[in-house]
Amino acid sequence: MKRLGTLAAAAALGALACLSAAGARSPKGGPRLALFAELPVLHEGRVKPLETVARSSLLILRGKQSISSRSRSLSPIEWLLDVLARPQLADEYPSLRVDDPELLSALGLSDASGRYYAFSQLAPAFKTLEDLSGQAESLDPSDRTRVQSAAMNLYGRVVLYQRLKNTLRPAQAAAFAGEAAAAAGGAAALKSGPPLQQRLAGWSFLAQMAVFRPLPPSPGARPDDWRSIGEALLEAHAGTLHPGLLPLSELADAWRAGDAAAFDRALGRHAAFARSAVPRQMRAARWEAAFQRAQPFTVGMTLYLLAGLLVMAGWLMERKGLERAAYAALAGAVAVHTAGLLARMLIEGRPPVTNLYSSAVFVGWVGGIVGVWQEKRSGGGLAAAAASVLGFCTLIIAHHLSAQGDTMEMMRAVLDSNFWLTTHVVTITMGYGSAFLAGTLAHVYLLRGALTRSLDKESAKRLVQMTYFAVCLSLFFSFVGTVLGGIWADQSWGRFWGWDPKENGALLIVLWLAIVLHARWGGFVRERGLMAMAVFGNVVTALSWFGVNMLGIGLHSYGFTEATLLWLVGFILAEFAVMCLAAIPPERWRSPQVFA
Amino acid sequence: MGPLASLELTIGSLAALMLLVALCTLGQVKLGLYGSVDTYIRSLLVWAEVPGTSLRVPVFPGGALVGVILLLNLTAAQFMRLEWSRRKAGLWLVHLGLALLFAGEFSTGFFQRDDRMVLSEGATRSWVESPRDLELAVIDATDKGFDTVYSVPERVYSKKRSIEQEAWPFSLLVKRYLPSARIEMRQSVEGGPASMATAGLGPSLVALELRRSRKDDAPEEPALFVEAVSGDRSYGTWLLSTALGGPDPGLGAEQGLTLDGRQWRFALRHRRRYLPFSLTLKRFTHESHPGTDIPRVFSSLVRLSDPARHEDRDVLISMNRPLRYGGQAFYQAGFENNDTVSILQVVKNPGWLLPYLSCVLVGLGLLIHFAGHFWPAKTTQAPSKGAGARS
Repeated sequence: MKRLGTLAAAAALGALACLSAAGARSPKGGPRLALFAELPVLHEGRVKPLETVARSSLLILRGKQSISSRSRSLSPIEWLLDVLARPQLADEYPSLRVDDPELLSALGLSDASGRYYAFSQLAPAFKTLEDLSGQAESLDPSDRTRVQSAAMNLYGRVVLYQRLKNTLRPAQAAAFAGEAAAAAGGAAALKSGPPLQQRLAGWSFLAQMAVFRPLPPSPGARPDDWRSIGEALLEAHAGTLHPGLLPLSELADAWRAGDAAAFDRALGRHAAFARSAVPRQMRAARWEAAFQRAQPFTVGMTLYLLAGLLVMAGWLMERKGLERAAYAALAGAVAVHTAGLLARMLIEGRPPVTNLYSSAVFVGWVGGIVGVWQEKRSGGGLAAAAASVLGFCTLIIAHHLSAQGDTMEMMRAVLDSNFWLTTHVVTITMGYGSAFLAGTLAHVYLLRGALTRSLDKESAKRLVQMTYFAVCLSLFFSFVGTVLGGIWADQSWGRFWGWDPKENGALLIVLWLAIVLHARWGGFVRERGLMAMAVFGNVVTALSWFGVNMLGIGLHSYGFTEATLLWLVGFILAEFAVMCLAAIPPERWRSPQVFA
Repeated sequence: MGPLASLELTIGSLAALMLLVALCTLGQVKLGLYGSVDTYIRSLLVWAEVPGTSLRVPVFPGGALVGVILLLNLTAAQFMRLEWSRRKAGLWLVHLGLALLFAGEFSTGFFQRDDRMVLSEGATRSWVESPRDLELAVIDATDKGFDTVYSVPERVYSKKRSIEQEAWPFSLLVKRYLPSARIEMRQSVEGGPASMATAGLGPSLVALELRRSRKDDAPEEPALFVEAVSGDRSYGTWLLSTALGGPDPGLGAEQGLTLDGRQWRFALRHRRRYLPFSLTLKRFTHESHPGTDIPRVFSSLVRLSDPARHEDRDVLISMNRPLRYGGQAFYQAGFENNDTVSILQVVKNPGWLLPYLSCVLVGLGLLIHFAGHFWPAKTTQAPSKGAGARS
């Protein structure tokens, strides 16, 4: 079984590498899009490849990393290039998602054409949208109606799209490289064409609109001294020509004209300059682009799903082979998950958990790794089932949390401490992970025992042991993590414990787990009671993890939406339903042999 | 002693504490952080109003009471129930660590002083002020070298009508106290109420009473009308408010009187605590990540000067790097006024080390206990052994 797992893990990693390489290949004879996607730019305070910019912009604008137009599917980087350099085409792509039917009717659009809209479809409604959003802006966030929030949100995304169009070249200009050359050419070159005042205003506009800065710092400049195209134009006019300005403007013109050869030539010149100016970032961006294309967490999610289905099929059909296959799939999923996690850590130079998104990824990983270990020790597909369900669910949650854009955002000053991120944040998230694992194992026990005939006495006993172990593990990590959080707070703002909602949430987990263990030690609960309590642990942990964000107070309130609330309420109700199974008398269970 | 050491009591208290923590979290939306903590956690009993009356009755034990019960329960269990064997060594450590943690929280509740120091660049301060507690300061500013400050706490001036002090040649009558007020220039408010004030800045101002809000992010500005009298003679009525600041030299001179050659100043201000040393802000630095508003660094370069201990040196205080000196710690908490003013949080908590100790003890204890439970015993993992601890 051990060899099978190792083999599966190796196979999964190999597949991932192939996937990434396949995504990087450009069509034969076409422009070298893969190289363009690897170019580093400064975006939201971090140097990253254009691949990441393309994907996170797509996520913000349309909630998905993929797009297709007229039945042709576009890669994220093609989409970005069209928005940057060929907006007349990009404006027809369904780049913006509008969900709210009331907002659609307020904008005079019919919701018959689906959820995705092209910029050109929305254009007639801009004035109305701006008014709606302006009204909403003056209100307190809690006083806004749903339509008003949706209008503000859409308006912000339209502005982002407009800014993207004016980042690499002015959206309107037919030919731009001449403008850049003129800026560098001095007074003589500026004689023909529009008056200087108008040109300067245009360049400043570009500098203001820029979403990212594509020009690396020249050798000798400060390492974070990246330039936008607009800034470089103004500087060129003042006498300093940035070596990347002309190649990039030629590249943009070539893409607009559909001239692949000219595009490749300009790209080659810019890449050569970038390699000499920022060799380290160039290499890092290449890695990150490969990571983005490989999408390890999506692959992992699929493998977790496969493992879960296999193990359940194995129980129903009573085939040991399926259980072994499930274990192999789980090992593969955990290997891919681990690879993704490590890649993120390397790219970011940070511990694994830095925000809500990465906490979801990490919770699933803790569950997965402990689950694989438990499965190896006791077999039977029990821990494999729990770990694959947990891994799948947390990666789904992470996927939805990633819709806010780049998930490797920069850290605020107060959080910017790798020491405390490693000790407190990682520890407490391990506590969450093992609490969820205990809860998920308890689901296996209750659902399988009460609703199917397949749970035998031996498996039930092992499930109790594994759940008990996960509860102990979680208490250890939650307690240490919570107290370390207090110590961090003492270090950074002078109070150990401030009764902040997130701190209270962590404390609630610790208290609940302590109750569970004391109740077990005192003999107040037996197997079913322990399981019901572990399921309730899921509720407490979920509330601590997400619930406190909805209070909108405290230092830790971040990233909460109305949809999250609905999901949370649904989850809690479902957990209560599962807990009720424990209250069914043993003789009414479909697997009464558990209590024999 | 039996029931005191029982596991039932442990579980009941832990459940009560869970409920209190949950209520304290939800209560913060309405009561604000401090209000909620005072109601549910730092209290012996939780009080509630009987609907329709103003009668308040205790409805639930408060956090402090539950904490004491848990501490007693823990101690009793340790001595009466748990055997002193190596097998239980992990649990002793856990319980000792928990006791320290409780002790630390009680020590914080009773002894911690939370103040702040607001420093503009170039300024020197040898005092800190409380962000929440206020004082009516009566200052004898006759001497050029030092001030003599008499501090009247809020619970006195908000309740008492007349305040006397031996050293004062007058007594102060509290004529009106507004817990939350907005101060406006008289000419900008049409038909404002006639002012009670007859001296100082008051006659040209209007104090408008506001409804009390207990939001943490919108601090209240109270106002106070006080009259200085001696026998039958009145020296005038002053309007004092935290909104007026002071007493800095310009305004402060008007908010007071000269009597028998002594200069007296009045101010309603955040309660000050004087330090035997001073800090001077040399430079405040605030940097963002390039191309964003996300702050990257806040730091204050200060000069610490303590003549009595011959200390005179530069210190860089930044996020996660406080200055610990003279039994207190100075933390970078905020900034204002276009990055020229730095706000330091100043905390004095004699029990600050207890949680550190506790964390180590409990972590180690849990590790020993669980390791002993799971590892040597691949065959005896069943938790039923734990029942033996209950006798």
